[in-house]
Amino acid sequence: MSELSVAEFRAGVRAWLDSHDLSVSGSSVSGSAEGSLDGQVAQLLRVRAALYDAGWMRYGWPASVGGLGGPAMLRAVLGEEVATRDLAEPGIYSMVEVLTPTMIAYARPSLAASAVPLLLSGREQWCQGFSEPGSGSDLASLSTRAVARSDGAWVITGQKVWTSLAQYAARCVLLTRTSPGHGGITAFFVDMSSPGITVRPLRTMHGVDEFAEVFFDEVVVPGDRMLGRPGDGWRVATDLLPYERSTCFWHRVAYLYSRLDRLVEAASSASSGSAGGLRGGGVVADDGSWDGADVAALGAAYVALHTLRCRSLVTQRRLASGGTLGPETSVDKVLLASAEQQLYDTARDLLPGMVELTSSSWRTEFLYSRAATIYGGTAEIQRNIIARRLLDLGME
Amino acid sequence: MTAVSHPAGAESADPAELALLAETFRKTMSAASGQVLDLALDQLGWRDLLASLPGVAIPMVFRLLGETGAHAPILNDVMLCVAGRAPGDTVPLPYAGGSWVVWERSDWRSGALDDELPLRPVAGDGGPLPLPLGAGRRAVGWWLVGTGRAMLALARSHALDRVQFGRPLASFQAVRHRLAETLVALEGAEAALTAADALGGASAGGLAGDDELAALLAKAAAGQAALTAARHCQQVLGGIGFTAEHGLNRHVRRALVLDGLLGSARELTREAGARLVAERSARRLVDL
Repeated sequence: MSELSVAEFRAGVRAWLDSHDLSVSGSSVSGSAEGSLDGQVAQLLRVRAALYDAGWMRYGWPASVGGLGGPAMLRAVLGEEVATRDLAEPGIYSMVEVLTPTMIAYARPSLAASAVPLLLSGREQWCQGFSEPGSGSDLASLSTRAVARSDGAWVITGQKVWTSLAQYAARCVLLTRTSPGHGGITAFFVDMSSPGITVRPLRTMHGVDEFAEVFFDEVVVPGDRMLGRPGDGWRVATDLLPYERSTCFWHRVAYLYSRLDRLVEAASSASSGSAGGLRGGGVVADDGSWDGADVAALGAAYVALHTLRCRSLVTQRRLASGGTLGPETSVDKVLLASAEQQLYDTARDLLPGMVELTSSSWRTEFLYSRAATIYGGTAEIQRNIIARRLLDLGME
Repeated sequence: MTAVSHPAGAESADPAELALLAETFRKTMSAASGQVLDLALDQLGWRDLLASLPGVAIPMVFRLLGETGAHAPILNDVMLCVAGRAPGDTVPLPYAGGSWVVWERSDWRSGALDDELPLRPVAGDGGPLPLPLGAGRRAVGWWLVGTGRAMLALARSHALDRVQFGRPLASFQAVRHRLAETLVALEGAEAALTAADALGGASAGGLAGDDELAALLAKAAAGQAALTAARHCQQVLGGIGFTAEHGLNRHVRRALVLDGLLGSARELTREAGARLVAERSARRLVDL
């Protein structure tokens, strides 16, 4: 395969997406109503399948797992197009970005070769069993136990929580405790159909049951499903941060830009349209004039998003030039969470009543943005990392 | 001191040579300021570097001014370069609120909040700006980031050295988070400035005005970051940071004055919003 430049790839993806309608409205999938999680997941798998069959989804991954090679940046470009066109919810679209590198780095080569194409092609959805009721920010204290059996299999008992899409998942990358301390965490690739696994979706504030509790009751996992060696689990968990904070973040930034555009459009629409007595429009006066404070708020949201995009670009370039990503990605994480909340705060201000009085996607997205400073390592944990590792302030 | 020359029109320069040059600039700025530094920078090849490698010269030199706390009237040179005029003169510069100032090339003691800076208010007609401001905004942006870095360094060492309740201040989470927040703001602004430099250097590609908009956004981010640094670092330094004998106040004054030069963070943020409203969509400006 000849090496594809990023620009050529982007042009190719755009041309292909222009002639292949993968949007929700162009879908024949039943129940894909906006906001319904079943619909979102069905749409996600449909988009993945189409992009995989056309080859786009395979670029940026090595041939050893069914990929077509090329730099990882191609995946960021593809995800940006998917997010910009609203083809799939970016959070769940980006899950492959952390799951696949884990498999490439830690699964037996034959297991990675057979399993990864199932994920990339949309035939399966997977999940990540990390957090526990007693182990949130302090992930290394996790206590789901894995005990070796004499025949080489492992028996797993415990509980996970905040497991995204567990109810749709065929497999789980699971962190377990095999001995005390950071060095006593071991990862497995577990079939969710295994006897002894119970999934209970969690109701969340924004009304989408994206997260679940997962119970493991003496679940037997073959020894060859271990990822890496006993005690490698903490590395499995920390190694995926660079992927989450480069490619996934680029996708999310693209998505937030699409929402900023949408906000400007909606806020500009003055009093046109109404929803059951709600004025239904934005803050623009009937003569089309804007209040200065509203313009300033939009500008501030734009400055924050632009700053984030520039920072994310620096991170992408460092990764592309062979650099390793470490604690400095906590800066990206803080910028992202802050910019996201600022954008949706501005949306709530500039579309009065939209969040409170209508069941629009603005409400769902506004509520979800409240979690941006919590998931993936809280804002406080990020600042702790920045203080200790980047500012070298010593221990607390 | 040795003069460093660069071939005009060079697209890039040897990184080792640039590091050496930066070190020379830093040493010079640590020893001199104002008119003396203006002359010294010229002897070191600042004007040649600006003419041949503006994308290297502006970030390096202006950031160092901020970090060292020195000052020199060389923003004039950047604006003169944009105007196609020879360096060494002065040019009226727009200031926040529709004011205009001239940055004198002498050691005249001004009445500015930062009275080391020879800024003379001049009458302006408030009409259309005679020159594109992008390059100047990038320069002041880098200066603001450098000033922010200087404040962060002072607050960091104070937090490590100062003991209260039997512990270094740096061991208190409230203090750590203020300093972390400062670093986040400065790093973000630096990324925006780097992107603006790249767009400012590339004549081809991108929409018309992308370079000016990128510089505007970067200056807004830099001003905001410097003001964030001033607030957090002064708080971490406590009483000592409020005294005239501690170095912090000079940087705080400088940040406040530089923020207003070529448009304050507040004004530029609002201008970015006005652009957004006019164009109905946010320019992406940077891409993979």
